Amino acid sequence: MSTTTATRPIQDYTAKDYRSDLKPIWCPGCGDFGVVQAIYRALANIGRPPHEIAFISGIGCSSRIPGYTTAYGFNTVHGRALPIAQGIKLANPDLLVLVAGGDGDGFSIGGGHVAHAIRRNIDLTYIVMDNQIYGLTKGQLSPTSRRGLVSVTSMHGAMEAPVNPLLYVLGYGAEFVAQGTPADMNGLAKVIEEGIRFPGFAFINVQSPCVTYGLEDQQLKAQKALMQPLDSLGHDPSNNLAAMGLAQEYGEKLYTGVFYRKPTPSATFEASARERQQALGAGTRPRAQVMDLFKLKK
Amino acid sequence: MNTDLVIGMAGSGGDGIVAAGESLLTAAAIEGYHGVLTKSFGPQIRGGESSFRLRLSSEKVLNTGGALDIAVALNWDDFLRFGGELPVGGHTTVIYDSITKITPDRIPLVGVTPFEVLAVPIEQMARETGGSERSKNTVVLGLMAGWLGVGRDPMIAGIKKRLAKKEADVVEKAVKAFHAGFEYATANPLKADRTMSPPAKGGAKFVVDGNDLCAAAAIVAGCDFFAGYPITPSTEIMQFLTREIWKYGGTVLQAEDEIAGVGAVVGASFAGKKAMTATSGPGMSLKTEMLGLASIAELPLVCVNVQRGGPSTGIPTKSEQSDLLQAAFSAHGDVIRPVLAPVSAEDMYSVTIEAFNIAEQYQSPVIILSDQEVGQRKETAEPIDATQAVLVNRREPGAQELEKYVRFRFTESGISPISHPGMPGGNYLASGIEHNESGAPTANGEMHAKMNEKRLRKFNPLRNRRDLFIADGPQDAPVGLISWGSVAGVAIEALQIALKQGLKVKLLVPRLMFPVSEAVFADFFLSVKRGLVVEQNHQAQFFRLLRMYVDVPRGIETLAKSGSNPITPLEVVDHLRRITLALQQGKDREPSEV
Repeated sequence: MSTTTATRPIQDYTAKDYRSDLKPIWCPGCGDFGVVQAIYRALANIGRPPHEIAFISGIGCSSRIPGYTTAYGFNTVHGRALPIAQGIKLANPDLLVLVAGGDGDGFSIGGGHVAHAIRRNIDLTYIVMDNQIYGLTKGQLSPTSRRGLVSVTSMHGAMEAPVNPLLYVLGYGAEFVAQGTPADMNGLAKVIEEGIRFPGFAFINVQSPCVTYGLEDQQLKAQKALMQPLDSLGHDPSNNLAAMGLAQEYGEKLYTGVFYRKPTPSATFEASARERQQALGAGTRPRAQVMDLFKLKK
Repeated sequence: MNTDLVIGMAGSGGDGIVAAGESLLTAAAIEGYHGVLTKSFGPQIRGGESSFRLRLSSEKVLNTGGALDIAVALNWDDFLRFGGELPVGGHTTVIYDSITKITPDRIPLVGVTPFEVLAVPIEQMARETGGSERSKNTVVLGLMAGWLGVGRDPMIAGIKKRLAKKEADVVEKAVKAFHAGFEYATANPLKADRTMSPPAKGGAKFVVDGNDLCAAAAIVAGCDFFAGYPITPSTEIMQFLTREIWKYGGTVLQAEDEIAGVGAVVGASFAGKKAMTATSGPGMSLKTEMLGLASIAELPLVCVNVQRGGPSTGIPTKSEQSDLLQAAFSAHGDVIRPVLAPVSAEDMYSVTIEAFNIAEQYQSPVIILSDQEVGQRKETAEPIDATQAVLVNRREPGAQELEKYVRFRFTESGISPISHPGMPGGNYLASGIEHNESGAPTANGEMHAKMNEKRLRKFNPLRNRRDLFIADGPQDAPVGLISWGSVAGVAIEALQIALKQGLKVKLLVPRLMFPVSEAVFADFFLSVKRGLVVEQNHQAQFFRLLRMYVDVPRGIETLAKSGSNPITPLEVVDHLRRITLALQQGKDREPSEV
């Protein structure tokens, strides 16, 4: 992997500094190509050197994405990217930590972790590439598949309703929630950059179509016609209730842009941890001193 | 005079049974005695029956001994609920509260006639001095100080210190209750001599338990990150670190589940920090996928399993050694994860530091297989000087290696220098998916075979770590005794008794449970014709693991028991004597029970 960017000054980075020489396994026309391009652009605008970035994913087509960047990557196990990413950020709060995965990774097998990542408010940017289908395992029902979908595991039509990722994260109190699509590369790169810059947990749902198993009305061409930028609708992203109202329409309308951005972000877990360490005198005593706790006091 | 006494006491929750046991142990430790204290409770969250077992000794002891020398029953219903955990024998002095209105010849102990039985007005003395029945435990402490000759002054000092913030008359009443018990003991000497002889080695001891000591040793070892989920009987490890780790610059995360706990630890390790998680059986089952990830990504971490009765929820509060095979073979795939087992609470210190060192050196998860007994019993230890700890850190790439960094480079040792995010030039892709030397995903079978070989070969030096074994007894002994974990504390004592009785026995206790050290066991078995593997599980898990890797002599038997009844040293000695007898009769190839 190319790692030639270490010593260059900040702001001197271009998108290609973040692109590795691994060739993606994705199908031609997959939405994820656009997502990774948008990430390169967002990172170039931010200008952090690749070695200060940790990019964590789970399992799925989209979870291959860290390998296509020059950052430190970790392609982990299915559904567990968030806990691992939180450990990384807490171990070294100076890193820029990105998390990515599919809708199955985030809202099915790993769904239990999302709520807790939100309530801890650890400064991560979580990008879900939501294609409403399991692509890597070849076309099974996913947690965001629409009701009635015929797939290889729902041959007679899906009987369950889809998860609404936007409402889910807003419901747990996420302080930055946005949606994008590779059909609008500028808009997508912009919300990713904003999410990274947001000082706390940021969630970005990307409608990233599956060209092989996805439906016709989910493809980029259809999305281009359907998408409605939230700022063009006059939405105020500081209004949490309005954001929730718009999020209700997930699956029916394709809104892009920032649903919610908390005007006064809460303290992050890692900032509180650092304060606690300082308050308790971290670094002022040798580790061996912990054994004094076992001395008996006469 | 006695060098060794076992005291058991039971009553209702709220009687302060456990507090009494801890006070007695602490006072004795201040005077330089050694001891082991276990506590046992009913299933209730609060209240219910409660008991302790305390073995006091003038030398270091590694188990709670056999039948009680002194049994204290505040009421008989509660005492009897503990059954075999508080066994009364023909030599026992039985003390109970006369308020039960039971006469000494009618006490409800079946099939045993204790040496002596005393009805003592414990509650009456408590009410007269302390003002309420809540002082019963203090009266009992006075009785013990009187009859044993142990801990009088430290206990009085302890009472004053504990109640320092209360009003003066509260302290005065408590001290009076203690004196009432002490004076009662002086006025009513026991038939049996229960006084303790002075400690063999003077100086105040530490009082430790395995869980707290594990947490402290982790801090000493350089652990900067802990994540876990509450589970009995391991939670004290997280609780200790939640109080202390910040003071040394570390962080604790109470995760949403066991998977996230070990997941965050995997992440912290990837980020370059020493990290640990702790759990018990059910949590271990959940963590295994992540242990597999750490193995293939070659990330160091320490995972503690404080074993309890299983399978499933099993008995959360009771000790067992039934997770050994799970630890050795946890998670799918063809890989080794080292497993270490401490033999006592005190041993947890060096085992924890060793676990971090092995994890860092070999870039692998290491499992500490503790158990409820080691984790939660209180035990005396000689003071530990942590400034002397020898620590190992992972091998990081040097400037030259970073010029063209290859994370999983095939090296002679199988260990490849490891970078971490933030290190310029060290950028790589870690993954659970098979990868080539540079970290790029691959489905190539040849590369997979080479990587497997590398990931297994790197542990070769670990198999020859003879310092991770306790060996004792004559080298040429024909009878071999093997045990591990907390039960090894029983075997170590059994060996000493057997040697004194003239039996030709030797002992081997592995702290390194896996990978099985083939050479160490083969050497041990050279002279051995018959022997015994002692462990606390039903299937004789270590015996079976041993047979997978080593040619175990046909004459090796197992003493494997589950349940909360401890295996006693004398029981082990009885087996050793029977085995020796069989050997003398020329039977060296027919185990009588396997």
